[in-house]
Amino acid sequence: MIRLATDVGGTFTDLVGYDERTGEVFTAKSLTTVKDQSEGVLNAIAMAEKKDGLRSRDVIFFAHGGTTVINAITERKGVRTALVTTAGFRDVLEIGRGNRPDLYNLQFHSPEPFVPRNLRFEIDERIDARGNVIRPLDLSGLKPIVQKCREFQVEAIAVLFLHSYVNPDHEIQCARALAAALPHVTVCASHEVSRQWREYERTNTVVLNAYVQPIIQHYFARLEEALARQDLTCPYYAMQSNGGISTFDQATQSPLTLVESGPAGGVAGAARIGQVIGATEVLSLDVGGTTAKCSLIHEGRPTLNSEYKLEHTRIEPGYPVQVPVVDIVEIGSGGGSIARIDERGVLKVGPESAGSEPGPACYGRGGDRPTLSDAILTIGVFDPANFAGGTMQLDKSKAIAAIETVAKPLGLSVEDAAMAIIEIAHANMINALKLVTVQRGHDPREAALVISGGAGPALAARLGRDLNVKTTVVPPHPGIFSAWGMLAAEPRADFRGTWFAALSPDAVEELSRRFRQLEQEAVAYFAKGADADIRFTYRVEARYKGQEHGVFATFQHGDTQETFGDRFHASHERAYTFRLPASPIEITGLHLEAVLSGPVIAMPRISDEDRSVDAALRGNRDVYFGSSLGWLTCPVYDRGKLPPAAVIEGPLLVEEATTTTLILERQVLEVTAEGVLLIREQTAS
Amino acid sequence: MTTVSVDPVTQEIIEGKLIATVDEMGIVMARTSMSPVIYEVLDFACGLLTSEGELVAQMNGITLFTGTFGTQVKALIERFKGNLADGDILLTNDPYSGGTHACDFAIVKPIFFDGAILGYAINVAHYLDVGGSVPGSLAPNAVSVFQEGLRLPGVKIVRSDVFSDELLHIIGENVRFPEIALGDLTAQVATVRVAARRMTELATKYGEKIVRQAFVNLLDSSERQSRAAIAALPDGTYHAEDVIDGDGVTEDPIRVKVAVTIAGDRIIADFSGNPPAVAGPINCARGALQSATRTIVKALVAPQAPSNEGWFRPLEVVAEPGTIFTAEKPSPTGWYYEGSVHASELVWKALAPLVPSRFSAGSYSSLCVVYLSGKDHSGEPFVHIEPQHGGWGASEDRDGANAVIALTDGDTYNYSVEAIEARFPIIVRQYALNVEGGVGAGRRRGGFGVVRDYEILGDDAVAYCSLGRTKTLPWGMNGGAEGSPNVVQIISDGGNSVRSYGRNPHIPLNRGDVVRIVTGGGGGWGDPAQRERHLVEDDVLKGLISKEEASRVYGFVPGSVE
Repeated sequence: MIRLATDVGGTFTDLVGYDERTGEVFTAKSLTTVKDQSEGVLNAIAMAEKKDGLRSRDVIFFAHGGTTVINAITERKGVRTALVTTAGFRDVLEIGRGNRPDLYNLQFHSPEPFVPRNLRFEIDERIDARGNVIRPLDLSGLKPIVQKCREFQVEAIAVLFLHSYVNPDHEIQCARALAAALPHVTVCASHEVSRQWREYERTNTVVLNAYVQPIIQHYFARLEEALARQDLTCPYYAMQSNGGISTFDQATQSPLTLVESGPAGGVAGAARIGQVIGATEVLSLDVGGTTAKCSLIHEGRPTLNSEYKLEHTRIEPGYPVQVPVVDIVEIGSGGGSIARIDERGVLKVGPESAGSEPGPACYGRGGDRPTLSDAILTIGVFDPANFAGGTMQLDKSKAIAAIETVAKPLGLSVEDAAMAIIEIAHANMINALKLVTVQRGHDPREAALVISGGAGPALAARLGRDLNVKTTVVPPHPGIFSAWGMLAAEPRADFRGTWFAALSPDAVEELSRRFRQLEQEAVAYFAKGADADIRFTYRVEARYKGQEHGVFATFQHGDTQETFGDRFHASHERAYTFRLPASPIEITGLHLEAVLSGPVIAMPRISDEDRSVDAALRGNRDVYFGSSLGWLTCPVYDRGKLPPAAVIEGPLLVEEATTTTLILERQVLEVTAEGVLLIREQTAS
Repeated sequence: MTTVSVDPVTQEIIEGKLIATVDEMGIVMARTSMSPVIYEVLDFACGLLTSEGELVAQMNGITLFTGTFGTQVKALIERFKGNLADGDILLTNDPYSGGTHACDFAIVKPIFFDGAILGYAINVAHYLDVGGSVPGSLAPNAVSVFQEGLRLPGVKIVRSDVFSDELLHIIGENVRFPEIALGDLTAQVATVRVAARRMTELATKYGEKIVRQAFVNLLDSSERQSRAAIAALPDGTYHAEDVIDGDGVTEDPIRVKVAVTIAGDRIIADFSGNPPAVAGPINCARGALQSATRTIVKALVAPQAPSNEGWFRPLEVVAEPGTIFTAEKPSPTGWYYEGSVHASELVWKALAPLVPSRFSAGSYSSLCVVYLSGKDHSGEPFVHIEPQHGGWGASEDRDGANAVIALTDGDTYNYSVEAIEARFPIIVRQYALNVEGGVGAGRRRGGFGVVRDYEILGDDAVAYCSLGRTKTLPWGMNGGAEGSPNVVQIISDGGNSVRSYGRNPHIPLNRGDVVRIVTGGGGGWGDPAQRERHLVEDDVLKGLISKEEASRVYGFVPGSVE
C-alpha cells in the first residue's frame, strides 16, 4: 500500500514513497535525464528499490511533478502552432499589451509571440460583450486556413474569438470543424482553458496550451508505458500549479496547469506541515540551487496568483497566462548564487548562479567564484566531510579561496565576507517573504515559516528571527520536499469566470445560483458521482465602482448583500490599506476551488526507541556568528536520532542526509512527536 | 552633521528596501485607482526623496516623471519652509514649478523620524478630469492655463492625518467625475503612508544617520558612474533639428533644435534659440524639459539601473525662459508631452551616431492620445482616454519594435478590447499592425505601428485628439528611410466619407461612425539594398511587405519564397 511521488527538477529527480501500512519511507535522488525525463524517474525508482526496498508492485498511488511543460516553453520546443481568431484581431497576440517596462532602453522589443504572423488566421464572426452574436460565424473561411495548416505541417491550433468567456458558441463550432478537417491536429479553444476576459491574455493562454499539449501527451504516454513495464500500475496523478493533483488524462486536456508543477508540490507540502503543527498561516520558502521561492498559505490553503506571467521580470513584460497558479515569488538567491562586487564597489549576490555545473567552488568541479553555499561552508555550518549524507566531499579551502576574491576588495576578513554574502542573500529573501505577506496585508508574526531546499535550513533560524514569525519549521526530508509535498496534495480543480453585476440582493442570489452550477461542473470533472466528498471554497472578485482591478473575498451560500459586502470591505482594506464604505460594489468574477478529499501522507509519531539527545550528539563544530559574537562552539546532532519532544537550547546544528539546520543563540529547538523541527526564540512567551 | 560610514552590506540592503518600497507604492496605486489612465495606462509614478528633495528611488512607471519629482518637492520645501508637521500631506498640480500639466496631481508626504524630516514620499497621477473647458481637461486648442482646469499649487490636503474637508469639497465641486477623483486621491494618500511606514522601519532598524548616509552614498555612486560613462564619449558639440507638426491652434510647422556638448565628464544640452511659447497647449515648462533631457541621459549612461538624482548631476540644461520648452504662466501646457517628446528626441538624435549600441532611429514619437466622450447605455457621461502604441526605429543590428508605447510613457498598457466593449458604448472593429502605412526601409527596417478602429454606438459622441508626427516623419539613420505618419480618420457614411485629423479640439461623431487611429512605423537603419535576402523573404511570408515592395525597395528577385 505504497504512495509514491516523483519530482523531476532541473538537475535532480527526487522520489519519496510511503507505505501506509508499515510506515516505511522510501527516498531517492537521481540525475534528471534531459532528453526523456521518464528515464530519470525509472532510475529513481530503481535506486529506491535497491536502497530502501521499495516494492513497485505495492504502489497504489503515483504522483508526478515535472518540468516538461515549462521546459518546452522556455526552450521554445513546443509544436508548430497556428491561431484562428476574430477577423481584425490576428495581431493581438503579437502586439500584446505594448508596455515598455525597460523604460530607458531605446532598443526595447516586446516578447516574440509563440505563433508567427503567417500562421495567425482570421474568421468572420463577432460576439459582443453581452454575448450577443453581431456577426454570424462564417465557416466557409476555414477552407484556405485548413489548407495552409496542412502546407505548414501545423500540429496544434488554438482558437480564440472575442468575448468567448460569455458566449463560447462560435469557438465550439469552429473548433469542431477544424478537428473534423484536421483529425491529427490538436485543436484547443480558449473557453476550454480560460473563462476570463482580456483577449491578449486569453489568446496567449490558449496558444501556449496548444503549443505544449502534444508534447505532454507523448510524455505521459511514454511514462505510463515505462511504469507499466516496471509493474507499477495504479492511478497516475500529475502535480498541478494550483497546489492540487489531477489525473494524467485531465492534465493532458489542460497541460498549462502543469507550468509550476514542482514548486506547487512544495507549497502543498508546507500546507500539510501547517496542518500537523496546527498552523493555518504558513509561509513557505524553498531555497534551491539557483533561486528561492516563497509562497503564503492563508487559512490553510495556498493562495493563487491571478496575474501569473511566464518569463516576467522588472524589465520584461513576460507572457501572461490565465491558469490557476500558486502565488509564488521567486528570486535569484539560491545555494549556487554567485557573489560579486559590482562596478560601484557594492557586494551583490545572484541572480547569476553556478548551478550544478560547475557548482559552488567547494564542489571542486572547477567553480572558482564564491557562492552562497561556499559562504555557508566557510562559516562552519556545513561539515565538509559529511555533506549530502557523506556522499560528497566538500573542499573548504576552495570555498575560502573563492570568498577571498570578494573579501580583499571589501577589506573584510574571510569569515566576515562570508557573513556579508549570507546577509545579502538573506535580505533578498526577506524582501520576497515580505512581498507575499506584509505587502499583501498579511502579518508574518502570525505565520509559521516552513523552510526547505538544500541551503534553506542553514538560513532558516535567522530568517525566522528577522521576520519575527511564530515558529520556524524544518519539515522532514527538506532536500526533497517538493516530492514529499506531492503526497500531501489532493485532487483539485479551479473554476473561474468573468461576470459583471452591481452588488444587490438579486446579484447575491445569482452568485449562489452560478456557484451551484460550477459545483455541478466540478462533480462532473472528478467523475466520482454526486456523493463524492468535495470541499468547495467560493471566492468572488469584486471592486469599488470605478476601479478596474478586483479583490477576492470569500462567499458563502446564504450570504446577503451586507454579509458579503462587509467581507469585501475587509479584504480590500487588508490588501490595500483603505476601504470606501460609501462606494457601490461591483462583482467582476467568480472562482470556485474544488478539492476532492483523498488520503494525504500521514505523519506518524516517531518512536523514541534508540533515540535520545545524547545518542544524537555527534560532536562539536565552530560556527561564525558575525563580528560581535565571533566563533561559537556548537553541538552537532543527528536528526535521525533526536527523540520526540526533545528541547535543546541553541546555538546548535542538526545534520541529516540532505541538509544541515542551524539554530541560533537565544533560540530553542523543539522536536515534535512527528519529528518536525521547530525553532523558537527563547525569550518569546 | 557628523558623518557615519555605512558598510557595503547595509548599503546594498537599504537600496534594495528603497526599490521594494516604491514598487509597493506602485502596486497599491495601480490596483486601487479608479481612472483607466492610471490603472490601465499606468500614467502615474511614485518616488522617495531625501530631506533636501533629491530623488533616491522611483518606481518603474513612465519616463515623463524622470526629473520632475526633485524640482516639485524642492518647490514645496521652499513654500512650506518650517511649516510642516508629522501627519501633513501636500498636494500640488502646478505645471510651472516642476510639474507637468494640471491633470497631474502630486501628493507629497514629509516622512518624520524622531521629530525631523527623514525624506519625502511622492505619488503623481494623471486625473481623468480636473475641470476646465472640455471633459478630460485637455483642450487641444487651449490658449491659456485657465482653460485647463482647477489648479492647487501647493496645499495641505491632510493635516495631522485628517483630510481637509474644504479642499475635498473644492475638488469635488470643480471636476467632472468627483467620485473617481476622490477615489484616486484616497489611493494616492494610501501609497505615501505605506512609504512612510517602510522608511520608519528602515530608520528604526539601521539608525536614522545610517539611512541618511546611505542616501548620500547612493547618489554619489550613481554620479560617479554617470560621469565615467560620459567621459568615455568623444568631446564635442552635436547638433540636431526637428519640426513639430502644429500646436493645436494652427498647423504651422514649429522648428526646434538643440546643441549637445560633451565636455569631459559633463554633458550640456543647450536649447537656446528655440521659438517662444506657442499659443496652443503643446508647450512644456522647465520641469518637463529637464525630465525629457534626463530620459535620454539615462538611456545613454545606464538604462537598466534604478533611477535617482545622482545620474543627472553631470547634466546641465540650458534654455532661456518663455520658449516652447520653458513655458511660463499663463501659457497652456495641457498636451506638454507632445512638446517635451521633441526635446527628448532632439537629444536622442544628436547622440545616436555617437553610441549606436544604445540608440535607435526615429519612432512614431507622439502618444497619439484620443479622447472619446459621450453618454453610455444608461445615459451617464463617459470619457475614454487612450494613448496608442506605435512603431519604433531600427537599430544597428535589429529591426525596430512593433507597437510599443512612445518614449514619454513606459510600463503603459494598451486597453483590452473586451474591457472597452464591456464598459463603453463602443465596438472595436480591428486592432492590427499598420502594414498598409509601412515602415522606414533599411538594412534594418523600422517597426510597425497599429490601426485601431472604434465604432461609436451612442449618440452625441465627440472625439478630440492631438497627434504629432503627422507630417514630419520618424527619421532614418545611416541611409535608412523615414518611417510613416500618424493620423486619425473619421470614416462615416459607410466608408464614403473619410476625414483626417492631427490635432483637433472637437470632432462630432454620429452613431455608426468609425474613428480610425493609425500610428506610424519607425525609421530604418542602414542601406535597404544591404538587407539580407532571408529577412526580406520572412517579411513577405508574414505579409508585412508585398512582393512588389520587396523588389522595388530591397531589390528582391522573387524565387522560392516558401
